[in-house]
Amino acid sequence: MKNLMRISVLGFLVVFLFASCAKQPTQQIDEAKAAIDAVVKAGGNIYAKDELKKLNDDLKAAMDEVNAQSKKLFKKYGPAKEMLAKVKTDAEAVQALIPARKEEAKNNALNAMNEAKAAFEEAKALLAKAPKGKGTKADIEAMKADLAGIEAQLAEVQTAIDGEDYFGASEKAASIKEKAGAITEQVKAAIAKVKR
Amino acid sequence: MKLRAVQIALVIIVQFSLAVLTQNCTAPPAPSEVNKALAQDQDLWRAGASFFAADEYENYRNMLVQARKVYEKEELKVGYFRNYELVKKEFAVVIREGERIQSLIEIRKETLSGEILKEKTDLYSRYETLDNLSLEINQRGLSRKNLAQVDVMFKEAERLMKRAKYEEARAKLKAAGSLLNQAELILKKQLERYMDLQQIAYWRKLAQQAIEKSRETGETAILVSKLEKKLTLYKAGLRVQVYNIGLGFNGLSDKLHAGDDATPEGEYTVIRKVSPSSFGKALLINYPNEQDIRKFNEAKKRGYITASTRIGGLIEIHGGGKDGLTKGCIALDDREMEDLFRRIPVGTQVTIVGTTDPNNKIISMLKKENR
Repeated sequence: MKNLMRISVLGFLVVFLFASCAKQPTQQIDEAKAAIDAVVKAGGNIYAKDELKKLNDDLKAAMDEVNAQSKKLFKKYGPAKEMLAKVKTDAEAVQALIPARKEEAKNNALNAMNEAKAAFEEAKALLAKAPKGKGTKADIEAMKADLAGIEAQLAEVQTAIDGEDYFGASEKAASIKEKAGAITEQVKAAIAKVKR
Repeated sequence: MKLRAVQIALVIIVQFSLAVLTQNCTAPPAPSEVNKALAQDQDLWRAGASFFAADEYENYRNMLVQARKVYEKEELKVGYFRNYELVKKEFAVVIREGERIQSLIEIRKETLSGEILKEKTDLYSRYETLDNLSLEINQRGLSRKNLAQVDVMFKEAERLMKRAKYEEARAKLKAAGSLLNQAELILKKQLERYMDLQQIAYWRKLAQQAIEKSRETGETAILVSKLEKKLTLYKAGLRVQVYNIGLGFNGLSDKLHAGDDATPEGEYTVIRKVSPSSFGKALLINYPNEQDIRKFNEAKKRGYITASTRIGGLIEIHGGGKDGLTKGCIALDDREMEDLFRRIPVGTQVTIVGTTDPNNKIISMLKKENR
């Protein structure tokens, strides 16, 4: 009877040790989450959308694993820890990708802005040279007002770049370039009208 | 005896290990449905499932998690005992649901895209009306600037639509709509007199009186209709000739003071024939008349204009081309001006009105826009 008691106590202790030693990997969870947060903060929502989605999915899978283990008597957090460690490593790798992508987007936006500016300047210069002859003066004045509108939009491109909205800036710059090009064509048509 | 037992145990262990290894090597491969579903999830997300089919996608994600659990449970088994039939079934259901969501996204995208396209078409129609109006009245101010910005925004919205960024496109159209409203307000303020039937009735009365007087006296009379950009020459109340004219940037407004670029309205007289003038031949009229002076003084008294503002003068009907922009004068092509100059004696009555047409083009354009 005494032996049976001893064995029971020992068995209980062993079970208790197994159960209590396997603590939730809170540190790894925090680290993985912090790594993902860092990706978001670095602009992952814009520059690494797909990768960020995968990181969040992987984190969710790891958390599911942690939850599943936490409900078991014999907890085994090893696989969850590995998954969390992988999330952290992957997140760091993704974060490392962002500056280059951001730089690329910035360069694209700057190039687009320069192209838009060049198109605007071309239209402006052509308009300045356009003869305000019969049939063109009103058109030219209207086009001048149009160019003033474009100039206001160009300022918004710079604002977007300053606010690090590089994709928005590129879209706007491309649209301005298109509009400026259309005005250039109108000026050319007005000039041709005078020559006729 | 003890050694024998150990030997038997070792043999059993080795055989078991070999069996496990062999069975693991011959374990069936993971069903293709697993990777297909994972890739499908990524595709759905990229297609905007969380936006276009939020509830359905969340349900799909839960189904995917469950299916993965079944798969992971099966993976824990020793190869020989693995049976992927249930896994296949689970993932097949997920994939079917994913395909359903994909079609749903396409339909919703198409609907949304159609809605935004309609918004854009409606706005663009308003833009075209206002653009034409602003060109018609030689607008070079804020409204024209706004309209140019609106055009840029339309182009941006088109780009965003092409990239399936519908909400951003919608926001851009909203901003364009706001600028259009501003442009419309400015234009309407300038043109409100041309939509006022009482004002039009007054102009019609002025015109009829001028024609009647010409009929009674048998003399020539000039009627200028600013909105229609026409100068009509009457003789003994009969229409003799119609000339196309040009005005200035603010030609549709009634002249109040020097430098406002507006063309005066009312009854005037040709006081001098000028040849040559700065713009070919010219007929100088008696602006400001008594009514103009009264109006000017009243505006000054009320503080609408500064004390140093002058009333202006030297308003002519001149040549130089109807497409030129005047500072308040009425311009004709040189050939037509020469013809008019020949026909008009000093003292001819000149009546200048905004319009005599109660269904004029401003009203028509704005009616079309309001539709």
